[in-house]
Amino acid sequence: MRKALDGLYGAALIASVMAMVTIAGLVLFQVAGRIIDRVLGWFGADALGLSVPSLAEIGGFLFVASAFLALPATLRAAGHVRVTMLARALPPTGARALTLLVVAAATALGLFAAWHSWLQTLDSWQFNSVSFGMIRIPLWLPQGGMTLGLVIFAVALTDELVAALRGRDPAFIAAEASKSIDAMEGH
Amino acid sequence: MDLGILSLILVAVLFICLALGLWVGFALTAVGLAAMVLATSAPVGAVFATKVWGALNIWDLTALPMFIWMGEILFRSRLSSDMFRGLAPFTRRLPGGLLHVNILGCALFAAVSGSSAATTATVGRMSLPELRSRGYDDRMSIGTLAGSGTFGFLIPPSIILIVYGAATEQSIARLFLAGVLPGLMLAVMFSGYTMIWATLNKHRMPPQEPPAPLREKLRGALLLLPTLALIVCVIGSIYAGLASPTEAAVVGVVGALAISLASNGLTRAGLWDSVRGAAMTTCMIAFILAGAAFLTGAMGYTGIPRSLAAWIGEQQFSPYALLAALLLFFIVLGFFLDGISIVVLTTSVILPMVLAAGIDPIWFGIFLVLVVEMSQITPPVGFNLFVLQSITGRDIFSIARYALPFFLILVLATVMLTVFPQIALWLPSTMMAR
Repeated sequence: MRKALDGLYGAALIASVMAMVTIAGLVLFQVAGRIIDRVLGWFGADALGLSVPSLAEIGGFLFVASAFLALPATLRAAGHVRVTMLARALPPTGARALTLLVVAAATALGLFAAWHSWLQTLDSWQFNSVSFGMIRIPLWLPQGGMTLGLVIFAVALTDELVAALRGRDPAFIAAEASKSIDAMEGH
Repeated sequence: MDLGILSLILVAVLFICLALGLWVGFALTAVGLAAMVLATSAPVGAVFATKVWGALNIWDLTALPMFIWMGEILFRSRLSSDMFRGLAPFTRRLPGGLLHVNILGCALFAAVSGSSAATTATVGRMSLPELRSRGYDDRMSIGTLAGSGTFGFLIPPSIILIVYGAATEQSIARLFLAGVLPGLMLAVMFSGYTMIWATLNKHRMPPQEPPAPLREKLRGALLLLPTLALIVCVIGSIYAGLASPTEAAVVGVVGALAISLASNGLTRAGLWDSVRGAAMTTCMIAFILAGAAFLTGAMGYTGIPRSLAAWIGEQQFSPYALLAALLLFFIVLGFFLDGISIVVLTTSVILPMVLAAGIDPIWFGIFLVLVVEMSQITPPVGFNLFVLQSITGRDIFSIARYALPFFLILVLATVMLTVFPQIALWLPSTMMAR
């Protein structure tokens, strides 16, 4: 079970990284196309017009997928921001009870987020909603990426809740204790 | 329900959630939920899904992972040692000597990284041990670094400005350019203070080193050249209107990869760490943005920001009084919250009020960044302090005390920016219109 769950979070992170690298690849292709056209223009040749249609839209979709699919791994690596002042000031039993309370509240909110994101995806599927750009992408696809990320996030939160209920330290607590300066990008 | 009571309840919910240690993204979601349940009969879940989807599915935000990735690559390259060896020959003879490496190094790294903590860590890893071995006063070495590290958010690219721009629908390119001159001004102010301090405290400075020979200076300049070229390409192409911020960032990623490969500073494991780190940092920010997007939507239903804005409009406060009050409020908030959370809370609730007072949104973005920079070096929650704690092993309250003069200079810079708004607004006004 542990192995399967860790595999799930790892796979979601790899998908997130792939979405991010795809954005870079598409944008690079677009920039290269523009440079080639300009160089061709200097020699009086016709522009090739290499470009990625609907890049702005696809980029936004990939950003959402990348951001949400990394949620579980970031949670377990203690990447998400929270204020730990009170937890540090409390004695160990109090801190443990506080962790339990916080993880329980977070799990409830995580389930709320996943459920309503799923309903939105279902809506887009039923009404055949598509994007506005040159390429009409059915909206359930990118919204499904967001839902998938939130569902796995809810699973990861439940996983942490179970650990806390069994009296063990959740993964994010252990990660917070050993956090290094290498993980400070973004602040 | 009366808006005053509702506001009080919501502020209480926010502070309880944050203090208990709920993740910021969820704390914002909880406040949004409370607001909608108490004040409206609109379908909460549907509003949540549409607001989050709508606020994150945005092309401008793709600049975020790209600039973070670029910083992650350079953070893992040999840039930090190159920077020290490159800058040291030039600052040796100045009053304050190699302390200026901290300031210049941070300004340079800030121009390729959008993060203050990463800037502090990159420069500090190399410079603090070097400064100590040469007999520099620890308190001043740490103080200059803590202060200058905050350039990361002000000098473009800047993660904070991308978040602000995306949340307020302002041009990220203009925001970036607006940060350039205030950033340089701060660097000059920090350097000036260091020179004055060094002149007054000669007994706490190591003896001056002989001037560097020309050859050493040339070698130093050569080490800095690739970074400078990268800065010119990335910021220059945005300024000239050749590239959007995302495009410039992707070119920056390619450049950063090339620099790292050329200096043999990038392993396969390092490459994986950089993409993994970038994905997780982007996710951390996106989670907060998602909570803030829902909160903004929920606040719209309650009407609180609207009536706050109307109230400010009626009072005919001078903008200065309003900004002074906000500055004080933000400094207090900055003791407990990190920069991105401050920015998203501001855009959710306070921005309509600021606009109603006739304050320019681009200028306000820079004002906000300066305030966020202060929050980076105020205890107990300040990420530059955390970084310095893990490099030096000192506790954050001592580090904050060393950084206090630089905190005060930041306040002074904010006052100057308020009196002379052109410091921020002039450069974007010269940008080629697009």
